[in-house]
Amino acid sequence: MQQTPLHDEHVAIGGKVVDFHGWALPVQYAGIIEEHHHTRAAASVFDCSHMGEFIIRGANALHSLNELLISDVLGLRAGRGRYGAILNGHGGIIDDVVSFKLAEDEVYLVTNAGPLDTVAALLAEAVPESENVSASTAKIDIQGPASRDALVRAGLGGIEALKYFAAGRFEWRGTPLVVSRAGYTGELGYELFVPNESVVALWRALLAIEPVKPAALGARDTLRTEVGYLLAGQDFDESRTPLEAGLDRFIAWETPFNGKDALLAKRDAGGYPVLTGIRTLDRRAPRHGFEVRKNGTVAGVVTSGTFGPSVGYGVGLAYVPRELAAPGTRLTAGPKEIEIETAEIPFYKNGTCRQD
Amino acid sequence: MYPNDIKYTKDHEWIRDEGGVCVVGITAHAASQLGDVTYVELPEIGQDVKKGAAVASVESVKAASDIYSPVRGRIAEVNDDLLGKPELVNQSPYDQGWFFKLDDVDTADLRHLMDAAKYEAFVAEHAE
Repeated sequence: MQQTPLHDEHVAIGGKVVDFHGWALPVQYAGIIEEHHHTRAAASVFDCSHMGEFIIRGANALHSLNELLISDVLGLRAGRGRYGAILNGHGGIIDDVVSFKLAEDEVYLVTNAGPLDTVAALLAEAVPESENVSASTAKIDIQGPASRDALVRAGLGGIEALKYFAAGRFEWRGTPLVVSRAGYTGELGYELFVPNESVVALWRALLAIEPVKPAALGARDTLRTEVGYLLAGQDFDESRTPLEAGLDRFIAWETPFNGKDALLAKRDAGGYPVLTGIRTLDRRAPRHGFEVRKNGTVAGVVTSGTFGPSVGYGVGLAYVPRELAAPGTRLTAGPKEIEIETAEIPFYKNGTCRQD
Repeated sequence: MYPNDIKYTKDHEWIRDEGGVCVVGITAHAASQLGDVTYVELPEIGQDVKKGAAVASVESVKAASDIYSPVRGRIAEVNDDLLGKPELVNQSPYDQGWFFKLDDVDTADLRHLMDAAKYEAFVAEHAE
């Protein structure tokens, strides 16, 4: 398994390490639910160094990049970010990505760990000017309502000006960082992209600030599921298109992009299942891979599911036929046929991510 | 490390003979492996159960698993406190976190189960 530059830190503070897409990463420290609540109430740091980062500079390169993305980054203002996806020729999702436009002619592209090799090969071919900085870049996410204050106190002055989904270059103790105001929890938070050699110092500096605590993959999963964010490789893979995965609103139909013809054909043909929020009626959880049934007949499949600590019931995502996707539709899930109903996401509605 | 007054199964349940009734729960090791317990399903009182029957279930953030009866008997009582406070399974696995009580048990059946020393060795042997 690959280790992040923070591996020894995780072990030293009692992180329970597991294999995540070939990376040795902690799944919990104090406990998933405790870390979950602490993130919603205060602030937590997560090691996300396994993720991929690419720098794309120059008008030509941005043009080539734009043709790989379902979203439009050419029209994006400098300093802003946009969610999107990279498709194969059949419209299947290779990865979901976020593009931060650091300058008029520069995009910082953030990708996932699972499909990183595929994405890197694709970018090397389609955008030869792109620079893959994944191996030399570590990433700490700080998430929670106290995260802004904590960063300022850690000496990252200037980040207070970042609006939701904005990003820029900053400096911490002489080290250059890319900071975005984004994350995977629904809370006010920031992603800190930092050179490997400086990440241990930054991690320790953040943990020295009250009330910052470490959180790990387990809490990251319960937090993102409560707000209905998708997990690459689990809620979609190359067998699913953005239409099925509910990413319609991120598609820039007016721009050309890889896989667009297949998507248009699919959109016109219709009849595809759609990814939908589901919840249980008690504390039981739907689980990844559970069959979804309507009146006893298999109608779909659960792709994510967990107990939602902040809402107090089971939450998840499932592919179901469009006619069963209307919120409040009663279904069952899994071998015990637990009762579920379709529900609007986010399940947890009090997240602070968009606050001023 | 593991209490001496109880017996253990390979499925990580424990059973305590309280003279007439036997109390059943899951071990601290099992609770720790599951992580934060979020839901507990309990059997019906009065139900006759066979040894090894899946009579209850437990869910955590990470996983779901069945709880098996360590011996033959009849469900005499269940721990309703777990329905509202499933975290008791993590906080107090051998005391407030018990699952159900059995009567009509042949206590000779308990002799085939592991004692604390054997269970500790069993856990060590099966550790990752």
